[in-house]
Amino acid sequence: MNVQYGDSVVLENVSLSLQSGTLTALVGANGAGKSTLLRVLKGQLRPSSGSVYCDGDLIETCRERVALMPQRSRIDWSFPISVSDLVDLGSMNGRSFGCCDREAALQRVGLADLANRRLDALSGGQQQRALLARSLVQPSRMLLLDEPCAAIDPPSRDQLLLLMRQLADAGHTLLVSSHDWGEALDSYDRVIVVDRRVLADGPPAEVRRSLKGLVNPGNHHCG
Amino acid sequence: MDEIVFWLLPLLMALLVGILCPVMGTLLVTQRRVLQANLISHAVLPGLALSVAFGFDPALGGVISGILGSLLAERLQRSSKLNEEAVINTVLAGFLGLGVLLIPLLGLRLDLEALLFGDLLTVGWLDIGRVLVACLAVAWLLGTRYRELVYLGVDPEGAASAGLPVRGLRLALSAVTAAVIVSAMAAVGVILVIGLLCAPVLPGLHRVKSLRAAMIQAAFVGLALSGGGFLLALPLNLPPGPLIGVACVVLLCPLAGRST
Repeated sequence: MNVQYGDSVVLENVSLSLQSGTLTALVGANGAGKSTLLRVLKGQLRPSSGSVYCDGDLIETCRERVALMPQRSRIDWSFPISVSDLVDLGSMNGRSFGCCDREAALQRVGLADLANRRLDALSGGQQQRALLARSLVQPSRMLLLDEPCAAIDPPSRDQLLLLMRQLADAGHTLLVSSHDWGEALDSYDRVIVVDRRVLADGPPAEVRRSLKGLVNPGNHHCG
Repeated sequence: MDEIVFWLLPLLMALLVGILCPVMGTLLVTQRRVLQANLISHAVLPGLALSVAFGFDPALGGVISGILGSLLAERLQRSSKLNEEAVINTVLAGFLGLGVLLIPLLGLRLDLEALLFGDLLTVGWLDIGRVLVACLAVAWLLGTRYRELVYLGVDPEGAASAGLPVRGLRLALSAVTAAVIVSAMAAVGVILVIGLLCAPVLPGLHRVKSLRAAMIQAAFVGLALSGGGFLLALPLNLPPGPLIGVACVVLLCPLAGRST
């Protein structure tokens, strides 16, 4: 596919497929086109050329099968809402239900005890897990997560990464974007590096070798 | 009997507006639409003037004019990627200017001061009726679109990707806002209404756990502000509208010292 805004080319000749039950990292610098790619995969943005399919159906006809967890900055964290009510909003995405009901989703992300808290009373990591629980209530097996680990502390990032791993093992397909890369990349099944085009795509070790000069092992990476 | 009606109608109006405006204001604050509401409150003037000139109900013209102002600002901002605040304030000034110009151009005998700042002591049953219609409009919006408005407020992009009619919701919000502002005009005027829309919302907004609870607490605060302002204005022989406007600011002052 190609994506163009006016004269500016954002994505060029991007072609990829994602297998069920895998955890994939989408890595690239700021402005590399990661968020645009996620929006295209969700069906929010139509590519200038090319198409996106989900289980053989055009994404425009089955958008509810894909859940997109937005970047932190897109959410109004001060909105007066409890954690359980936020998670409940996931049920408004499509007519069928997701893998979990609200209670099960909260249990799965480890927030059952905090269900009645206000959203802004949670830590950054807990807030991200609440958003993830909302995605689990949606009728989607494919989860796109846009920089879920940005601006949260390392223990919370590790916890979130573990949770994502568990979801992939349970059959969900996760594509997780980040502008950062480091040792935690090894937790993923596959790494896709983008900078307008796909620069590298494969298992973490292979991608490290092919992009040796770009990878800084000192940086932490989660998603 | 006449004397009782003279007191009761303005008091009833103050109390109704004191509940209605904060409930609507809670939606506006949480949807980050206060600037648009301020624009609408000024943009109702040309419609009011034209309605009076052509013999229609001023409220109807005001609502249409307010919606047009809001749509124009949104269109300009979206198509040209201009700064939102600058566009809104420019359209606001343009519509206000047009409204003021239309009064002499159409040879109207309108009390501009009452329109801008309200005149509670002259309200009649028609004004009460307008507030009740606006109450019904707010009840309809909340009754049919509450969860969608919550989704839109907390995560606008998520709401769009969930297939919610975001533009339709915002248009409905603008229309109901215009109806509320026009109905409150007789009490606090189109300029001061913004205080009653915003101030009662703020003290408890960061404590409650739902939009519904935020509306209820704002309604109680608004009721006290508006009713109290009216009852205080009478013995002091002051115009109630401006006094309620000042009370709104006084309400916020203790919040300034609160830790964040």
